[in-house]
Amino acid sequence: MLSRMPADRWDFTTAAHLLNRAGFGGVPMEIGRLAVMSPAQAVSWLVDYERIPDNTTNPAWAQPDPERAERLRAARNASPEERRKLVQEMQKNQREQIVELRAWWLQRMACGPRPLQEKMTLFWHGHFATSAEKVRDAYLMWRQNDLFRRLGTGNWLELLVAVAKDPAMLIWLDQAQSRKEHPNENFAREVMELFTLGEGHYTEKDVTEAARALTGWSYDRLDEDFTERPMWHDRGEKTIFGQTGYFDGQDFLELLVARPQAARFISAKLWNFFAGTPPSPELTDALAATFREAGNQFKTLLRTMFLSQEFYAPSIIRNQVKSPVQWLVGSVRMLERPLPPPLVCTGLTRNLGQDLFAPPNVKGWDGGLSWITTNTLLARYNEAATLLQGDVAPVAGGALANRPNANRQFVRRMAQLRIGAVDAGKLFTEKQRESVDALLPALERRLLQAQFKPEQEKVLRDYLGGQPELTDSAILNAIRLAMSTPEYQLT
Amino acid sequence: MRDEITLQTRREFLRHTVLGGALSWTVPTFLANTFSALQAEAADQATQTTTGRDGTILVVLQMAGGNDGINTVVPYADDHYHRARPRIGLAEAKVLKLNGEVGLHPALTGFKELYDSGRLAIVQGAGYPNPNRSHFRSTEIWQTASDSTRFERYGWLGRYFDNACSGSDPTVGVCIGHQMPQAFTARQPTGVSLDNPQNYRFMAGGSSRPGQSGNMEESFRKLNQPEEDANSGATIGALSGPVRHTGSALDFLERTALDAQVSSDKIRSIAGSVQNAATHPGSQLGNSLKLVAKLIGGSLPTRIFYVSQGGYDTHTNQINTQERLLKDLGDSVSAFVEDMRAQGNLPRVLLMTFSEFGRRVAENANGGTDHGAAAPMFVIGEKVKSGLLGQYPSLAPSDLFQGDLKFSVDFRSVYAAVLESWLKTKSEPILGRKFAPLQIV
Repeated sequence: MLSRMPADRWDFTTAAHLLNRAGFGGVPMEIGRLAVMSPAQAVSWLVDYERIPDNTTNPAWAQPDPERAERLRAARNASPEERRKLVQEMQKNQREQIVELRAWWLQRMACGPRPLQEKMTLFWHGHFATSAEKVRDAYLMWRQNDLFRRLGTGNWLELLVAVAKDPAMLIWLDQAQSRKEHPNENFAREVMELFTLGEGHYTEKDVTEAARALTGWSYDRLDEDFTERPMWHDRGEKTIFGQTGYFDGQDFLELLVARPQAARFISAKLWNFFAGTPPSPELTDALAATFREAGNQFKTLLRTMFLSQEFYAPSIIRNQVKSPVQWLVGSVRMLERPLPPPLVCTGLTRNLGQDLFAPPNVKGWDGGLSWITTNTLLARYNEAATLLQGDVAPVAGGALANRPNANRQFVRRMAQLRIGAVDAGKLFTEKQRESVDALLPALERRLLQAQFKPEQEKVLRDYLGGQPELTDSAILNAIRLAMSTPEYQLT
Repeated sequence: MRDEITLQTRREFLRHTVLGGALSWTVPTFLANTFSALQAEAADQATQTTTGRDGTILVVLQMAGGNDGINTVVPYADDHYHRARPRIGLAEAKVLKLNGEVGLHPALTGFKELYDSGRLAIVQGAGYPNPNRSHFRSTEIWQTASDSTRFERYGWLGRYFDNACSGSDPTVGVCIGHQMPQAFTARQPTGVSLDNPQNYRFMAGGSSRPGQSGNMEESFRKLNQPEEDANSGATIGALSGPVRHTGSALDFLERTALDAQVSSDKIRSIAGSVQNAATHPGSQLGNSLKLVAKLIGGSLPTRIFYVSQGGYDTHTNQINTQERLLKDLGDSVSAFVEDMRAQGNLPRVLLMTFSEFGRRVAENANGGTDHGAAAPMFVIGEKVKSGLLGQYPSLAPSDLFQGDLKFSVDFRSVYAAVLESWLKTKSEPILGRKFAPLQIV
């Protein structure tokens, strides 16, 4: 189990697979660069990313706001009429900032220097799924995102404790309000069920006792930070996982991570995210052992995964459905075009079933085949036109269906937006554009890193062959067709 | 084996409707006969055709999050109720009384009207043994109709499709939204999902020049046809690429692409031509039911529609949230019923609500309630046995199970009633064993 990929198996296909899964894919040149390295070097380039400088700036408002306390006070003392206006304005600002935050993160994914760091941030966002719809604070959502980025490939306990004390999480799962008189079970339950152990590996009693241990871990609205409230903490004895003691939140989380199931659970989840399929029990054991032996350090686990022969099995390569975010980010990378404006990006992924910072519930997104319904598949096919030819109508139509109360005028305006088309000249050399025979393989290499079926190749050949010449417009239409296939949805 | 048959007949279907055949939506006779021949097994199971044009229709409405049943169907005369909920308990004067003991939440004026006009059955205390308080696990239990101690792979409606609806029409099940509910998961993946009919097609658009659109659409269709039969063996030797595993992601994508094409024209034509006969609220639920009403009015041969409304997980601030949600629920369902009535389709339609669990009897410290167990289901239609069914579980502390209401009706007997009395199919093969159907319709 988990034996290393030999160098003689390393080629363009495996390098593409690595970049697609550990990151968001790339253009043939980027894949080519990884292909000529050894497997260990290629994986290291992704995993040891601290060596790559990252000078991305944060949104201006991504910091504590001392004047916020004043504004809250002012709102409390204002007349009902004024308070309503102030609240409306604050809510409007929040909504705009979330849109900005989404765009900022997508930009990092599309252009940032550290693909795996962003991909892991995305993993943790789906794992510790927290929604802005309840947290309603862009700074706090940004702060949680930043936490995932900084600690996401480090130590499991360290990450878990930081998340338990994260303001957005404290609000999201009601931990902030939990006190000894009425312990709130929401976080205690989900941290076991969804975040660390999985259903069936804890009892109801464990949940209620853990909730007691966590009482007192709370959130200070004025400081916008974690705070401990000793008066709220239940100091009594608790029994969790058969062990008794005067446990507090920290103790409980340490007990959690010490369970053998904790290593199995998170290793399996990571494998499923990157490989696209749940690991067998034997593979899970092997991954968990690697993880534990490394002191619950994620980097070691990731490196082992990405270097394993299992990761490059034929049943794994090109057998994972792209998430909406992967679809969008991967596409703009391959098409070498800028990300569309923030509101359009929001619409694009939302229509496909994924809204960053607003997962449907604390379980995150199911992923895999569940991304694909007749609705979302047609939306992928149509939104390809948005990315290729700049036609925003498909996005606008979806927006109206999702938010019936959306301002119709706004949606109409959005439908008339042109956001710039892809420059076909960037994607293919003159030689490649000389003939259909030269163009088709280049198109497949760029979009699929694999070949279409012969019947499909014939369709594309016929389409292109039927054009008077291989103009940019004809080429974009051919790409549009290629992106409107089942094959393009796979990574 | 079965997979290939259905995919092949779907392809046949596509060829007929798309490449010049008449756009009639009945299953062509020769196909129907072929099916009868193929359904050699289970001769006693009446295979239902998918031309549900005059058949009965079930609309399933999921209330996601765990709706607090106690504040929905309110035991206002019970002291235990008021004692357990000093803050969030509803005052007797506000409740819409149904009898001397229970009444509806004040925001459910729509349901009260339906109750008074004999179109609402309230199944009290619906639940199951060994209740699970996890959203996901309990939702799974309701969607798969499994015992809480077992895991079923397929959804109960998926098993209904597999057992009783083998046919080529993918619109036998329609979900309004982006994700297919687990209830639809089937051995033979079935059902379509949509929310905006206008966009429910391949839009060639973009920079197509005149005359180019046609080529684009034709090419698109050919790119999305799954592999031809073994007869085109000449090309198979030349295939490259990874070995296709049955049930691979690519298989699923191809099948979905085909379903989308097959259903697109008809759905768009209906949505474009059918007028709603009532005014629906502008909420997401209102819009979903509005679309369902159109599709029914346009004779889409669907047997099962699925819509959902979220937000019921009221750990905090329950009063405001639940009021808003229940008002939306009552108004949206009322509008839908009115639309059906005006269309003359109400006798064919049954709407059933469910939620993954109710909530605890005692309120918590944050003006809300935590995950519970038994809760009411609502069944609406012209033909329902209107009134209060089942038994309201006792709120007395000694009668509770870990602080939660004990169920009085197993939800699978409601499913059994729907399957047998409404969808006219045997419930045992679908639910795994015999559940005595509740007398609902």
